[in-house]
Amino acid sequence: MGAPLIQSALHPAGIQAARIEHLWWVMFWVCSVVFVAVVVAMGIAVVRGRGAASSASEATLARSVAIAVGLSIVALLVLLTEGELVGRGVASLREQDPNALRIQITGNQWWWDVQYLNPNPSLIVTTANEIHIPVGRPVGIVLRSNDVIHSLWIPALHGKRDLIPGRVTEIWLQADRAGFYRGQCAEFCGLQHAKMALGVVADLPDDFERWLTQMRSPAPAPTTPSQTRGKDVVERGPCAMCHTVVGTLAGGRTAPDLTHIASRSSIGAGSLPNTRGNLGGWIVDPQHVKPGNHMPAPGLSSEEVQPLLDYLETLK
Amino acid sequence: MRRLMCLLACVAVAAAGCEREARRYTELPAAANRSTAVRLTMLQPGSPQPLSNVQSPYQYNAYGLSEGKRLYAAYNCAGCHGLNGGGAIGPALTDDKWIYGSHADQLFSTISQGRPDGMPSFGGHIPDQQIWQLVAYVQSLAGMVSQDAATSRNDDQAAAKPENRIEDARQIQTGHR
Amino acid sequence: MKLWAHRCVARAALVATTSFLATTSCNKPAPDVRSETPPSARPLSGAMADPSRLAQDDGQWTMPAKNYAATRFTALDEISTGNVKQMGVAWTFSTGVTAGHEGPPLVVGDTMYLVTPWPNILYAFDLTKPGAPIRWQYDPKPLGAAKGVACCDIVNRGAVFANGALFFNTLDGRAISVDAATGKERWVTQLADINRGETITMAPLVVKGKVFVGNSGGEFGVRGWLTALDAGDGSVAWRAYSTGPDKDVLIGPNFTPHYDSDRGKDLGITTWPGEAWRTGGGTVWGWLSYDPEADLLYYGTANPGPWNPDQRPGDNKWTAGMFARSPDTGEARWFYQTSPHDLFDHDGVNELVLADLRMNGGARKVLMRADRNGLLYVIDRSTGEVLSASPFAPVNSNKGVDLKTGRLIAVPEKAPKQGIVVRDICPAAPGAKDWQPMAFSPKTGLLYIPHNNLCMDFEGMAASYIAGTPYVGASVVYKAGPGGNRGFFTAWDPIAAKPRWQIKENFPVWSGALVANDLVFYGTMEGWFKAVDAGTGQLLWQFKCGSGVIGQPMAFKGPDGHEYIAVAAGIGGWPGAIVSADLDPRDATAGNGWGGALGDLKSATTKGGMLYVFTVSGGK
Repeated sequence: MGAPLIQSALHPAGIQAARIEHLWWVMFWVCSVVFVAVVVAMGIAVVRGRGAASSASEATLARSVAIAVGLSIVALLVLLTEGELVGRGVASLREQDPNALRIQITGNQWWWDVQYLNPNPSLIVTTANEIHIPVGRPVGIVLRSNDVIHSLWIPALHGKRDLIPGRVTEIWLQADRAGFYRGQCAEFCGLQHAKMALGVVADLPDDFERWLTQMRSPAPAPTTPSQTRGKDVVERGPCAMCHTVVGTLAGGRTAPDLTHIASRSSIGAGSLPNTRGNLGGWIVDPQHVKPGNHMPAPGLSSEEVQPLLDYLETLK
Repeated sequence: MRRLMCLLACVAVAAAGCEREARRYTELPAAANRSTAVRLTMLQPGSPQPLSNVQSPYQYNAYGLSEGKRLYAAYNCAGCHGLNGGGAIGPALTDDKWIYGSHADQLFSTISQGRPDGMPSFGGHIPDQQIWQLVAYVQSLAGMVSQDAATSRNDDQAAAKPENRIEDARQIQTGHR
Repeated sequence: MKLWAHRCVARAALVATTSFLATTSCNKPAPDVRSETPPSARPLSGAMADPSRLAQDDGQWTMPAKNYAATRFTALDEISTGNVKQMGVAWTFSTGVTAGHEGPPLVVGDTMYLVTPWPNILYAFDLTKPGAPIRWQYDPKPLGAAKGVACCDIVNRGAVFANGALFFNTLDGRAISVDAATGKERWVTQLADINRGETITMAPLVVKGKVFVGNSGGEFGVRGWLTALDAGDGSVAWRAYSTGPDKDVLIGPNFTPHYDSDRGKDLGITTWPGEAWRTGGGTVWGWLSYDPEADLLYYGTANPGPWNPDQRPGDNKWTAGMFARSPDTGEARWFYQTSPHDLFDHDGVNELVLADLRMNGGARKVLMRADRNGLLYVIDRSTGEVLSASPFAPVNSNKGVDLKTGRLIAVPEKAPKQGIVVRDICPAAPGAKDWQPMAFSPKTGLLYIPHNNLCMDFEGMAASYIAGTPYVGASVVYKAGPGGNRGFFTAWDPIAAKPRWQIKENFPVWSGALVANDLVFYGTMEGWFKAVDAGTGQLLWQFKCGSGVIGQPMAFKGPDGHEYIAVAAGIGGWPGAIVSADLDPRDATAGNGWGGALGDLKSATTKGGMLYVFTVSGGK
């Protein structure tokens, strides 16, 4: 993922975000004009001083107030109309597109559980902390939470939507340009709220389909003795208590699915780039990188960590 | 050649005999020759030594107790001992009956070692720190930790009183000492 | 012969101690047991070789369900509506086991057999002597660790007799055969792995020289199977899984299910997300029936795992349904799913009673099933077509079956969801009726159904699969259904599809039923063992046993020519674990939900296993 990371509402990559950006600029200019006008008026008032005001006739005063109120109403109407138009535009994607991709994202402290839904259950894909979406195709994301209130914000694609325990919310978005966009939890959700990022990779449709097909495959069988030993560490060690690696005995659901961990660009929900060194450091002492996260130091020996890394690197 | 082999065999047999006949009077360093036991029984030979008063480091710690509660569900303890400790496949934890003891070190060894009548051995599968958190939470299920540190209302279906409001288990008609 | 036996025992013991998951067989081919002398001194007819013909002899009781059609009916009539009031205890036997006694005694010739719950000791009693002393006993020494993966008490639902041998299963996953005359071990085959959460609690069935055994562990993420073993040497003939690819499920070209939804390639994979079918349940812990004429074996598959349905979108084939298979090859003939994408732990393992009924203007060969989902199914047993499905208990979680598609009509507002409590779902997870087998009287044409009246609150929760630990993901609390009584005993007319009479019981009726000519017997969890008039339901006799009755009553003719009724008392099983495992009902989810419904059971009965044998002849 050499692409520059985009986390800005002013660099929209999709139709929703473009509308929101448009509204942002309208707000910016209207508010700027109002601000400048108010400051100028205030300045004039200060310069002219008290004497002039008292000499103004009742009629002049009434006209001035009327102009000010009129301008305010106009500014307000412009903003309301723009707001309504943008709101409608943003909502228009929700109209069920049969071609739409459906994803379910469940918030956890402090990571994102991701499922690509499908009417054929055997085609459902589970992953975590990084989603791929096809360019030019609407994506409906169902949002849930397993613990506290979180909020999903991918500024380059859309506004925020809250994830609320016991309720189901939804957000529709679409990327119009390929790229890597950073999403972030936008509702304070505990100690590591800041390190709860969601990577969004907008792929060209063919790349996306290739990626999704790859995600549907179980973990490959280990090919070297070291990898075999690594798989053994996953299954017999503490990993399997919380993580899932499809194709092995590991079926935990309290932590991110690791079946394709090597294909993700970061670890710890955007805490560190996914390199062998970072991953090793994370496994040995996760509390150093992201204090308070739910992964304990598993107490693995170096004879276990190296084969484990060899194995995890095969999980593409 | 054959003679040499014969000789070697004899030496080997003699060496094995050395091992058999060795009298090691100080196998362990003197200081390491008497360990303290995690006792599962009051009964001891001779005059009894006091049971250890080891406590979970999380006994008075709200965060550790709430982590224990989270792990109790995450590691499927709840599946056997009941979501709120009332028991199912495994015995109830909310009452004041303890098969293998209610002391922190007894509970630690029960979780870590497992027990032959069905309790799985979690040692090596989960870190010791988490076992101590579970120990404190299990004690809280029986009202054995201070109420201000114990976890409270469930996020899920409220099918029992919260751990910080549990009645003294001894209110049910059981003998006690 | 003796040497052979020794080698066999030694080898089996070795296998048992190493928990080696493989099949064993003795080096020598097994002796032809048919040529051996029968275990009893009393001569039997030539029917000895054929368990189905032996089962027709009402003096004997060779399999828990009495016969292959699973009717639990005997025509013995010495004990009648007129004299049952004089019925009293002939003799008793304490098993010394305090878990739930769900198994029935068997009687072959002059010997009674009883297998206890864990530790699964098999006893043989000499009926020719006063007090029926123990003739022999066999202790298989099952692992204590197995108790940690037995979802619903450490029960055993009985042994079966065939061809001079007894066959039964142990909680730690072994199928065992012993010589009926001597109690000598014939073979032991390790089938289930407790480290994967597998146990065995069911009573096997023997058909055409094969022993059929299924696993338990639907609450532990196991993959369900039915295994056929050679009755002679215990070697595995075939195994049919309940999930996964067609080749594992033994689905081939002769598989012709009646409904479209069951047709297609590898539905055991494509109706599951990812590889969830590997931990998807569909165990076979219930009852098997056999139709010799069609040469088909019928049995049900249990709930899909985990309970939390959000973790397994799809129809979850081939769980919560019933299979018809060839006993020789295991090849599936048809399948019908009673609860597609089961939402409520509604296992489809209840007994299948075979009968020929006059329905829809013609004689139909049917099987009848009172399902957990509250519907009494009458199904054409040659095709798997549902002829009728009618609620026999309060139901609000489904609206019956669409007879065109065969599909259960769901009620969306009662569907459990993860993180949300759905209230007042009827029937509850143990269903309108659980494993407790009903009886069928060809005389009255009625089914006698011991069952539950329960509703529940259900919240789905994320469940981690950790091998050897529970895989459930649900917070459930049961409560009494409409009316406040938690159990029913119902006489049901399967043709009219309505009850003839019904008895309300305070607790769920967790014992099996028995029809002895004009009398129907069943037990209650308080410990009453009752005889009622088969035609009217009038209570004619009752006896208070020492502990709650959840066993299967049976009838036999003793060597003295008199009729006896026998039942094992001993509270336990899934609901009775409140007492037998001393659960704390202050937690309403105790016992996976029973804490809410049976808080008062502890003051109604205490634990303790005891076999009771009743007679009107004064006994010995």
